[in-house]
Amino acid sequence: MEWASVAFYLIATVCVLSAAGVVIARSAVHSAIFLILCFLNIAATFVMLGAEFLAVVQVIVYTGAILVLVLFVLMLVDEDQLPDFHTGQPIQRISGLILGLILLLEIGAAITARSIQGATGGATPENVAAVGGNTQALGRVLYDDNLLAFIVVSLVLTVAVIGAIVLALPDRRVGINQRRGTGTINLGHPVGTDGIPLALPAVRGESPIAAATPGDLRPVAGERQIIMVRDPDAYTEVGQHDAAPDNRPLIKR
Amino acid sequence: MVDNPLWVALIVGGVLMFVTLTGMAYMTWFERKVLARFQDRLGPTRTGPFGLMQPLADAVKLLGKEDLVPAAADRVVFLLAPIVIFVTAIVGVSVIPFGGAISIFGFELNLFAADVNVGALVILALGSVGVYGIVLGAFASANRFSLLGGLRAAAQVISYEVVLGLSLVGIFMLAGSLSLREILVAQQDDLIFNLFGLSISLPNWYILSQPIAFVVYLIAAVAETNRAPFDLPEAESELVAGFHTEYSGFRFSLYFLGEYINMIVISLFASTLFLGGTDGPGAASVWGLGVVYLLAKTVMFLFFYLWLRATLPRFRFDQLMGIAWKVLLPVALLNILFTAFVRLIANDEITIPAWVWIVAAVVLAGVLVLTSLNDRANRPRPSAQAGD
Repeated sequence: MEWASVAFYLIATVCVLSAAGVVIARSAVHSAIFLILCFLNIAATFVMLGAEFLAVVQVIVYTGAILVLVLFVLMLVDEDQLPDFHTGQPIQRISGLILGLILLLEIGAAITARSIQGATGGATPENVAAVGGNTQALGRVLYDDNLLAFIVVSLVLTVAVIGAIVLALPDRRVGINQRRGTGTINLGHPVGTDGIPLALPAVRGESPIAAATPGDLRPVAGERQIIMVRDPDAYTEVGQHDAAPDNRPLIKR
Repeated sequence: MVDNPLWVALIVGGVLMFVTLTGMAYMTWFERKVLARFQDRLGPTRTGPFGLMQPLADAVKLLGKEDLVPAAADRVVFLLAPIVIFVTAIVGVSVIPFGGAISIFGFELNLFAADVNVGALVILALGSVGVYGIVLGAFASANRFSLLGGLRAAAQVISYEVVLGLSLVGIFMLAGSLSLREILVAQQDDLIFNLFGLSISLPNWYILSQPIAFVVYLIAAVAETNRAPFDLPEAESELVAGFHTEYSGFRFSLYFLGEYINMIVISLFASTLFLGGTDGPGAASVWGLGVVYLLAKTVMFLFFYLWLRATLPRFRFDQLMGIAWKVLLPVALLNILFTAFVRLIANDEITIPAWVWIVAAVVLAGVLVLTSLNDRANRPRPSAQAGD
């Protein structure tokens, strides 16, 4: 056997095994690591096929950028809060098994029959070498022959990015209210109340703070009183700070 | 593509690896000496002449330390992560051309391990894979400080990877190739200016035709290697030691070595792309002078790294990301646009009528005025800040 074949079978074995590992691994981070390994081996296969540019792009885009982002999100999420991928209902397991078998049969039939092969394109080794290599050949196909499609795809992606940014933008008003409520002690006084009132933000969930009725006065140590409010603006003298004219200081000192 | 036979490539690669590892060891010595000079100290002096044996002593010390694995750690990932960063760092040397064909003992061999036709992209790809060493090590440590350092590293490297790649596109356009060897060959031409009848001949190093790209590359390279002032993932004043908080002994030293090798590779890469690599006066005729030139240029870049570290305070993280996305990325994109434009005109592939120039100038001036006005309008007033 040639060295190239040995290398190919090694790469292919690791690739298939790590692909299986993506599905089998219990931890989502381990799945991501197996996916990295799988992508790197696919890149190696591209190199063996003489498509170095494609291989490097595969590594930079998928391994270097997308999977880093996946890991980024996985690291921020508590693993216990992720849905459990391995406790499907029996019906799900059986249907999954059947669908998987059908897919496997289809792929097997396609490989053995070779009837799904398309027509041979213009990218023969001689043509590719004539323009100076596969990077140049790919560039010609992308930016000369299919320029319009390329521009349309980039526009669609740009729209998607802008859409994602718009969706992720915080509601400005809510953001300011929350920041004032949580980040600072509210210095506003409810009119006619002595002591130091401490306005607390509305808190979700079952914490005792949220359960308190608005305006509930509670004695703390000594004669100080703490005031429980749901909306910090209800007890500030200045009123709605974001409705205040721009040139006015937000909080009187 | 110029190729060595496989066994020659393996030998050259092995020698390069050995040289890089030695260079990395003496990089630590160099850093301690230079930093000491900046701070009016002497640095290591006790171990050998000028403290030259210091790297050896450090290696013995690091190897002798206990290799701890935290009880809560993800054991396999924790043990493998440092190896990832070390291996990806050192593989980068294999695509750097140290010169053309030479003959030793009657053998013809090329002074590079592999001439990949996408060599420049290989180095970028290795950098982006190397970040897994940091991210996975941070995740596997089961430590909040490590996790924060890992998150910072991931965000930082993704952002600066984009900037680093885009800053090089201008060079790829001028050289017409992604192969580092061909970029090197393209820089050995002469760049001839005709100014007022005077003909000035300069080397065609890309620092002269791509100065903006060079500055962008320098900044992005420092961030890409997590060095001061962009060493946020291991900021000791905020995150204990960042992603390697839980690492000790030899696994810590793998992170440490990986960082230094990354610096060396990025500096070799910069010398090859911008400073003509092995090019220099007499390099073609004198045996081995090319390699000396390349190494001298690389040491210059490494000194620049240390200079930055000794001089600048650390950035804040939002400033770091802001520079990447709001300053460096637009500058790099404009540089690409400008380079493509100039190349088209210089090659007489397009001719532009005069009215287009006038319209373009008016539009550009309008945009500049509008942005400066907009900046002034958006500047926060003192009265609004007093309440915050």
